[in-house]
Amino acid sequence: MLRERVRKAITSQPQPVVTVLSSLLAVEDEMGYIPPEAVEEVAEHTQSTVNDVWAVASFYTNFRFTSPMERVVEVCWGPTCHLMGAQEVMRCAQELLGMQGEGDTSDGKVTLKYNTCLGACSQAPVVMADHKLVGRCTPERLAALLRAERTGYHAPGAHS
Amino acid sequence: MTQAPPQPATITLDGKVIPFKAGQTVIQAAIDAGLYVPYLCYWPGMKPYGACRMCVVEVEGQRGTPASCTLPCAPGMKVNTKTPSLEGLRKGILELLLSEHPHGCLTCHRIELCGPTDICLRHAAVTDRCVVCPKNERCELKDTVRFAGVNLESPLAYHYRNLQIETRDPFYDRDYNLCIVCARCTRVCDELRGDDAISMVERAGKVLVGTSRGTSLLESGCEFCGACIDVCPVGALVERKPKWAKAEKKVTSVCNLCPVGCQVKLEVDRLGRVIRTVGDWDSPANHGQLCFQGKFGTDFVNHRDRLTKPLVRKHGALVESTWEEALGIVAERLGGYKGGGYALLASPRSSNEDLHVAKKFAREVMGSGNVDLALDTRPELVAPLVKSLGQAAATGTFWDLERAGCVLVVNSNITEEHNVAAVPLKRGHRQNGVKLLILDPREVELTRYADVWLRPRPGSEGVVLAGMLRAVLEAGLEDKAFLVEMAEGLDQLRASLARYTPEHVAQASGITPEQIAKAAQLFAASKPGAILYALDNIPADQREAVASVLVDLALVTGNVGKPSSGLYPLRPGGNVQGAQDLGFAPLAGGVGAAGLVEAIQAGQVKALQVLGDSALYADEVLHALTNLEFLVVHDLFLSGVAQQADVVLPMAAFTEADGTTTSLERRVQRMREATGPKGASHPAWAALTDLARRMGAKDFTYADASAVFSEAATGAPLYNGLSHQALDGNGGVQWPMTPSGGTGNLYQNGFPAGKARLLPVEVTAAPPWNNAAFPLLYTPGRVLAQPHRDVAVLRGKGLNQVQREEQVELYPEDAAAAGIGEGDRVELVALGTRMLGRAALSGRMRGVVSVTMLFGQLATVLQASEAHDPMLRVPPLDVLPARVQKVAQ
Repeated sequence: MLRERVRKAITSQPQPVVTVLSSLLAVEDEMGYIPPEAVEEVAEHTQSTVNDVWAVASFYTNFRFTSPMERVVEVCWGPTCHLMGAQEVMRCAQELLGMQGEGDTSDGKVTLKYNTCLGACSQAPVVMADHKLVGRCTPERLAALLRAERTGYHAPGAHS
Repeated sequence: MTQAPPQPATITLDGKVIPFKAGQTVIQAAIDAGLYVPYLCYWPGMKPYGACRMCVVEVEGQRGTPASCTLPCAPGMKVNTKTPSLEGLRKGILELLLSEHPHGCLTCHRIELCGPTDICLRHAAVTDRCVVCPKNERCELKDTVRFAGVNLESPLAYHYRNLQIETRDPFYDRDYNLCIVCARCTRVCDELRGDDAISMVERAGKVLVGTSRGTSLLESGCEFCGACIDVCPVGALVERKPKWAKAEKKVTSVCNLCPVGCQVKLEVDRLGRVIRTVGDWDSPANHGQLCFQGKFGTDFVNHRDRLTKPLVRKHGALVESTWEEALGIVAERLGGYKGGGYALLASPRSSNEDLHVAKKFAREVMGSGNVDLALDTRPELVAPLVKSLGQAAATGTFWDLERAGCVLVVNSNITEEHNVAAVPLKRGHRQNGVKLLILDPREVELTRYADVWLRPRPGSEGVVLAGMLRAVLEAGLEDKAFLVEMAEGLDQLRASLARYTPEHVAQASGITPEQIAKAAQLFAASKPGAILYALDNIPADQREAVASVLVDLALVTGNVGKPSSGLYPLRPGGNVQGAQDLGFAPLAGGVGAAGLVEAIQAGQVKALQVLGDSALYADEVLHALTNLEFLVVHDLFLSGVAQQADVVLPMAAFTEADGTTTSLERRVQRMREATGPKGASHPAWAALTDLARRMGAKDFTYADASAVFSEAATGAPLYNGLSHQALDGNGGVQWPMTPSGGTGNLYQNGFPAGKARLLPVEVTAAPPWNNAAFPLLYTPGRVLAQPHRDVAVLRGKGLNQVQREEQVELYPEDAAAAGIGEGDRVELVALGTRMLGRAALSGRMRGVVSVTMLFGQLATVLQASEAHDPMLRVPPLDVLPARVQKVAQ
């Protein structure tokens, strides 16, 4: 059940100080988004109110409130990755997915996000695909990732 | 080495030397000194926020332009508010603010030229015109714009947010297109009310006031106290009803809808209507706070159905008449019922003046001891206070509870019935760590804040308290020094507690010995401790016994006579304390409200006089009235009771007459005449005085209400030294009056009888509930928010409506016995109520079924009510016999 998953994520935070923000992050990590129920559960757990939790959640643009697509691809946009060719990688991703900026594909399969820094500058340019880091990413590697036979996914506009 | 001479606690502001108090910020010192520094986000009593940057100043010898609301005063500081660079800065900041606020109204060059009948032709766009803003002429932003000297050139472009105006919540209209994001509303809700029903949502350029996921206020936990409206500097938040009305004058008075005694500013428009009530921020009784009742429930005084002329019965029908004729009839008829055949019932909201003259009239003119308050005002709650301590009143001051160690609340729905008394509890709990210990079988708003919530079987509350008291003594947690010096009867008390063993208590109440021990430990160890008790749902004949245990508990833990401690009986009725103090009660052998119906039916009482609020009389009283020979009613409206009267006399509302009222914390305060009496109505005391004189009484000559009060004060020892003049100050006086003013805490210097008396405990639990037709006890609850429950709000054209299926909480075995499974659709039938819902087998108490409703549901009902006085009809949360049965899906 959704609530139970959320509750488990909130209650199993390892750090000693649990805050509204840390709880929201725990939920985002577990679920990939903040469902409405999570706002209520976090409020309950942190002895706050739903309005206060929402104030925190709505402040951070990195939280999403609808469930993510099947696959989430984040392209690092930090200075190092930028210098090492992230723009090319991003352009390739957008071309393959048929979109202009970031967001969800119209077929509901892939979420593409800019990421400000994934913290792996030594491997720039970096992409995170479904929570897995892909270092020294090239447009070709990304294309391969997106088209991977193992998912059988064919992005709109992809030439295969 | 010589020490530098100590600097005096003064600062220099724009060349003026002004004093400051320790811890004050520059803006606070300036306001105290009567100097104006513009500000928009600052509000006295709230933490400095420093958001609007209007109050920027320069300090000589320091760099930068700090905000004076966050700048602490330092001795000798030289502060300037009016340098050219500051003025430029302020103007620039203001222009940024105005870039998102429609401001045709603020910067129009005709701002001082327009007459009241001018129509605006091309000076400002239609939607920008000053007259389309509900805060026109009372906008703080306008004052700031004018002070800052922004150019009056019509109008600059601005970015309109184009948001839908929220008009579907009860009582409020919210237009966030006008919001300047000062956060006063969210801060007042959080810091001063402890509710957090609104927050700042989103970020940076998009940040605005909102609720979780944009829900309506009905679900967000709003108690509709109106505090956010009162602090809003612009037209974003306004009361819906008097939205466009402008105040001609403001009169300081007291709300008498409940006995907390909130001082208010009544705003009166040019037509003489009371348009708005605003909490008085300087009042020690309520510190600016009001509740849904006081804020939105006083417009009945303007109602078109108000009686304006006396009515007398002619040929079976009530017809309009004159005072002369009406009083003549009353004088003549009443003359025939002198003695025990006459009775007088007064509303517990009546002023002290009305009560005094009514009592005097009944006793001296009519020779009858049959006077009483019309509603059950629970005198049993104060009876043990008299026996044990000496005075029939709360021992301390509500607002001091913000600094208590622990507050025990017993069977009280404070948020709905004594709302503002809950504010210091909630604030204290959130800000000062006040421990809240709640004993109540119902889920009420305060249980959300409770550190410990004991939820006993209904009817066993007294036994739980006795168990707690025993646990305190067993664990040696009593205040030994206090008991030796200040109290007597400990041995008898100990003996009487012997039978309340943890096992006995657990068996009777369902509260485990561990919970009892924990509660006892919490209350005894967190000092000072206070006890608030309304004893809802405890039968009248048990209330005194339960209240006695509470008095003992307070004494044993040494919590009487100290600041932030004590006992607070939460009685109903706006001036119930005044009636108590003035001895407005039946004489020995007299007929009171309780026995009136029988006395009328038995023909013992033949003539009845009714003062106010007769619309609230129970149906059985209404039926009994037909047996009367003569009935005279003083009231605001033609209620069912008034329709049966022989003579109806129009009465002035509490906003229309000078008088005094006494709050539960013994605060005698002045209610002031804000508007003239409606039509030919008169205050009850004036009508009774006239009547008494017509009946030949000599001693009824009062120049005004103040003369009445002076006479009342002479006859009531507790009001010694009080007069209208003495009460004229802010917040009145808490009796008894001493040379240094009122008394916040009774018994600080000991008890009148030397020592307090511990009262032996004699509580019994209600016998197990056993009724074939209604086998269960239904405990209703009402809370502000239920984050766990799905709520759908029907966004209709008119009011939003809460739409949801109630959750009927059943004890698993009770459910099984009725063939009900988790999630089944069930019907709950209790006396006078019937509802459908889904069964949840989460109940913890055998034989008890609970439903917790949402305050928002009640709020929409109150908003839509057609009754003249909806706020006096907030349904109490009564425990009722009930049955639950499964119904088709």
